[in-house]
Amino acid sequence: MSRGVVIAYQVLFFLFALFSYLFVDNNFFHLHSFYTGFYIQKRELTTLLFLLFTTAFFIFYFYFLFCAKKHFLSLPIFKKLLITSCVFGLLAYPAMLSYDIFNYIATAKVTYFYHENPYVIMPVELINNKDLIFTRAANKLALYGPIWILLTSIPYILSFGSYIFALLDIKLLLVVFYVATVFLIWMMTKNLFSITFFALNPLVLFEVLVSGHNDIVMMFLALSAFYFIFKKRIFLGIVLFILSVLIKYATLPLAPVIFLASYRILMKKKVVWEKYMLASAVIMFCMVLLSAFREEVYPWYAIWFLSFVSLLPKMKFLIYFSIIFSGSLLLRYTPFMLWGTYGGLTPITKLFLGFVPLFLFVIYVLVFKRVWLKDLFQ
Amino acid sequence: MIFTIFAFFPAHPAIAESTYVLPYPSVMPGNFFYKIHILEEKLQSLWHFGSFGKFSYNLKLADKYLVEAKTLFEYKQYLLATKALSKSNYYFSQIPKTLSDAISEKKIIIEKQDLFKRAAEKHIEVLTSLGKTLPSVFLWQPEDGTNETLLLQKQIDQSLELRKKVL
Repeated sequence: MSRGVVIAYQVLFFLFALFSYLFVDNNFFHLHSFYTGFYIQKRELTTLLFLLFTTAFFIFYFYFLFCAKKHFLSLPIFKKLLITSCVFGLLAYPAMLSYDIFNYIATAKVTYFYHENPYVIMPVELINNKDLIFTRAANKLALYGPIWILLTSIPYILSFGSYIFALLDIKLLLVVFYVATVFLIWMMTKNLFSITFFALNPLVLFEVLVSGHNDIVMMFLALSAFYFIFKKRIFLGIVLFILSVLIKYATLPLAPVIFLASYRILMKKKVVWEKYMLASAVIMFCMVLLSAFREEVYPWYAIWFLSFVSLLPKMKFLIYFSIIFSGSLLLRYTPFMLWGTYGGLTPITKLFLGFVPLFLFVIYVLVFKRVWLKDLFQ
Repeated sequence: MIFTIFAFFPAHPAIAESTYVLPYPSVMPGNFFYKIHILEEKLQSLWHFGSFGKFSYNLKLADKYLVEAKTLFEYKQYLLATKALSKSNYYFSQIPKTLSDAISEKKIIIEKQDLFKRAAEKHIEVLTSLGKTLPSVFLWQPEDGTNETLLLQKQIDQSLELRKKVL
C-alpha cells in the first residue's frame, strides 16, 4: 500500500477533527471561543459534509480491508493508521454526535468531588454545578456500572480540576482500551484483516475515538474473558467477564456462553472457539436490537457485536452484514443533523436509514449468495 | 384601579394542603419479610453515603415509619405503632444534621430545605389527624408479658413539636 494513501488518510482524519469543532455547543463555555453556530445555521451543509466524511472514511475502510485481505497492508503501515486514528480522534471535539462523555464527567464529579453516591443522587441535584448547562441526562441516576465509575476516578483525578483535561483524560483512557482491544484481537487471531476490520471501521473510529463511548471498555473485558478461558485460566476469565458486566451490563447475556465454554474446558472436552464467538456475536446483535425497547438503537451499540465479528474473518455474511450495519447506523445521525428535531419525520427516517440497507442486503444474500450463509451453520 | 376593584372582593380562606406524597405502607411487623426489610435498611445506610444521600435516606425512613405508625394505629396495634412512630421521629431528627453537613460542603440546599419543609407539613397533617382519633392513654395488655401504659397523646405532641421546629 502506497505512502500516499496513508498521508491521505491522515489528512482526512485531521480535517474531520477540525470539522468536529463546528459542533461546539453554545452552552459549552469551556470552549466558547470555538463556538460558531455553524451546525445550527447551516444544517444542510453540515449534514452534507458529515455524509461526505463518512463516505470517505468508508472508501478508505474498504481499501484497507482489501489490502489486508490481499496482504498489501503490512503491520507497520497498520500501526501508522492506528496511531493517526488515535491522535486525531483524541483531539476531535467529543460532543459532535453524542453528549455521553459530559455525563461521564458529571457522574465522576458527583462521586469524587461531591462525595455522593451517583446511584442515589443525580447531577441535577447539585445545582451549583455550572457544567449542568450543557450536560444532558443530568436528571438521571448513574446509568453505568460501578467498575466504570471506579475507572473514571483515574481521568478525574488526573484532570486536576480542569474540565478540558477531564475530557482529554477520559478520551485517553478510552484510546488505551481501544488499542488494547485491537491488540487482544491480534493475539486471538494473528490476522491483519481482523484488526483492520475492527480498528479502522468508521463507526468504531467515530464512536470510540471521537465521541468517547465506554462500550469499548466493556467489550475489551468481555473479549479478555474469552481469551483467558480459552487459555484455560477459567477463574481469571470469569472475573474479567463480571468486570465487563459491571461496566455497562449489556454483556450479561453472554453468561451462558462463558459458563458453557468454561465447563467444557474444565471437563477437557473439545471447544471450537469460533462457535462461541459466533454465538456471542449473535447474542450481542440481539442485544442491540432489543435496546430499541429500552430507548433506541444507538450507533455505538454496534461495537458490542463488531468486536466478536472481527474474530470471525472468514464468515463473509457476518463481515458484510456488519459493515453495512455500521454504515446505516452512522446514517441515523443525519435526520437530526438536518432537521434539528427528534420529532416530525426524524424517527421514521432514522428507522428507514438504519434498517432498510440491512434488509436489502439480507434479501440479496438469500437470493444470490446463499453460500455465504453456510459458514454460519458449520 | 384594578387593585381597588379586587379589594372589594372578599378573600376566601385557602386551605393549605401539602403536595408532598407519603409512600404506600410497606411490609408490616409480624410479616415474614419484616426482618429482611430491617436488614435491608441497615445496608441502605451504607449505600446512602454523602450528605445528600443521608438526607434522602433519613427522609425516606421518616416517611416510611410514619406511614407504618399510622397504619398500625388504625389497626389498634398501639404498641407496635408507638415503636414505629419513635423510629420515624429518630430519622426525622437526623435530617437537620445532614443539611448542615451539606452547607459545610458548600452544596446548595434550597431545594432540600423546601422538600424538608413540605415533608414536615405532611407529617403534621397526618399526626394532627391521628391525635384527634387516638385515646390519650392506653393500657397495653399482652397475652404474655407485662402490661404497659402507652402515653399516646404525649408521643403525638412530641412528634408534632419535632416537625413544627422545621417550619
